[in-house]
Amino acid sequence: MSEVLSKIPNGMRYYFGAEARRRRAIEETAMSIFAGWSYEEITTPTVDYHSLFEHGMGNVEARRAFRFTDVDGQLLALRPDVTSAAARAAATLLAEQARPLRLCYAASVFRQQPQSHAEWRRESTQIGCELIGENTPVADLELLAVAGEVFERLNLGGSYLITLNDVRFFNGVAADLGLDEDGRERMRRLIDARNAAELELFLASFAAKVEAAEFARLTQLSGKREILNAARQLRSNSESNAALDRLEALWNVIESLKWQDRFEIDLGDVARLDYYTGLTFKIYVRDAGTKVGSGGRYDGLTASFGRTEPAVGFVLDVDALTELPLLRQIDGSDQTDAARRPAGANVAELFRDAVAKRQQGERVILTLQR
Amino acid sequence: MPKLTIAVAKGRLQDEGLALLENAGAGISSAALSSRRLAVEDETGSYRLIFVKPADVPVYVEHGIADCGVVGLDILLESGTDLLQPLTLPLGICRIVVAAPVGVSLSDRGMLRVATKYPRIASAHFGAHGRPVEIIQLSGSVELAPHLGLADCIVDLVETGRTLRDNGLQEIEVIGTSSARLVVNRASYQLKAEAIGALLDALKAALKTNA
Repeated sequence: MSEVLSKIPNGMRYYFGAEARRRRAIEETAMSIFAGWSYEEITTPTVDYHSLFEHGMGNVEARRAFRFTDVDGQLLALRPDVTSAAARAAATLLAEQARPLRLCYAASVFRQQPQSHAEWRRESTQIGCELIGENTPVADLELLAVAGEVFERLNLGGSYLITLNDVRFFNGVAADLGLDEDGRERMRRLIDARNAAELELFLASFAAKVEAAEFARLTQLSGKREILNAARQLRSNSESNAALDRLEALWNVIESLKWQDRFEIDLGDVARLDYYTGLTFKIYVRDAGTKVGSGGRYDGLTASFGRTEPAVGFVLDVDALTELPLLRQIDGSDQTDAARRPAGANVAELFRDAVAKRQQGERVILTLQR
Repeated sequence: MPKLTIAVAKGRLQDEGLALLENAGAGISSAALSSRRLAVEDETGSYRLIFVKPADVPVYVEHGIADCGVVGLDILLESGTDLLQPLTLPLGICRIVVAAPVGVSLSDRGMLRVATKYPRIASAHFGAHGRPVEIIQLSGSVELAPHLGLADCIVDLVETGRTLRDNGLQEIEVIGTSSARLVVNRASYQLKAEAIGALLDALKAALKTNA
């Protein structure tokens, strides 16, 4: 075979055997949990207008999509996410449905430009949930509980960690300091890289020295309730306070449920400020080099489609989960019985026997050479 | 606490990096040091150190094979990897510069040919100034390129400037300063927060004593 025909494009791959079954099993486990919390499955188009994703994900993320043109010259894309189309459906097709609207999905997404060297795939499978039409701590907590149940059911109970933040904490501080767009982005990058020393230097020209050092320390390390208490000691502004109040309300319930081992508060999670409007969270599992899931509140998204309503959602990366060393034991096969070999004196009898065995629910494997 | 794996860049930074780690309580026995093993445990058993080429440090850390690494900012910028940089280390300090043969002016050229080991840094620098360039990627002896006519100038790392002078080159422009960074994998940072916090504190204390 020529090289061109045998080769597959970068970032694409096959799944088969135990690995394919494991993926299917993880997906089915998650989807059954979503159904258990009354989330309705939605399937969105694989090919959609590129402008949808520009509105839905922001220009930077949307630029990573595979793009091509329709017969009328409109720019199309292979979907780089599902949330954009789900939000559009909620604002249009499902506009008349009762709120809150609960949607879930399992779908491939495509990115021409991979996220990083470690996340080299250009096709990956996402499973996720969206809860649309409600902005309360209860709605936030529902998503965290659903995500948590997925990890519990996959027997990852003691091995996963969910970090929580509220982007309004950062936004409030940036506004309070009077930062322009460039300054805001510079501060965001320094926090995102956990570069406390340079952050402190950067802040020194805006804030009091002690304040700057304390803010740098707070955004460098995650922790439990003490992070919230320490953040309250900083110079306050109404937006950051609203963030801390909301996180505290969430944390109170987390403590009452005795879930605090699985959660951390991480005021330094500022990865996608252009997208999220409140709570954000990231999910990590022991022995995985990258996060396996993320989510948050995006109350601004559906406004792009003509109907403003709050929404919160999360997405899990099935490929990252499939590769977890801790999940290698999942085989996904229910073929505990050995395969039976149907027999018969002629072809008709062979198939009569095979069909009869299948009706008994037995697994068969035909011998075809006769 | 879980054991941390630290990737240390071989070469320029290695000795200084190991000395700092030793002061921070992650010392390696001289027997292990003198052996040719590329993965050794420190004497306390809390850390595993792996020695890899500088350019490979970000790769090991980004994949989470190593939890952290000690590597120069030059390598980090060039790799374009997505890593946390919680600590700047005052080791291996040098400048990243544009240099050209003495007496040659670069301003009257429509396009520059730039020889470098750092194509990403070079192209970002000239791109920011709207200057069209052809980047010629080399893996060493970059100082030769302008004299042999392969390039008009070079972008390279300079510590004392001696190599430049000895090869008839002069600094035209400083792009930036590079020093070593402690880099950390994003997932390790959360999942092994306690161990990484302890390492950060120990390194900060060691740096304070040195200074």
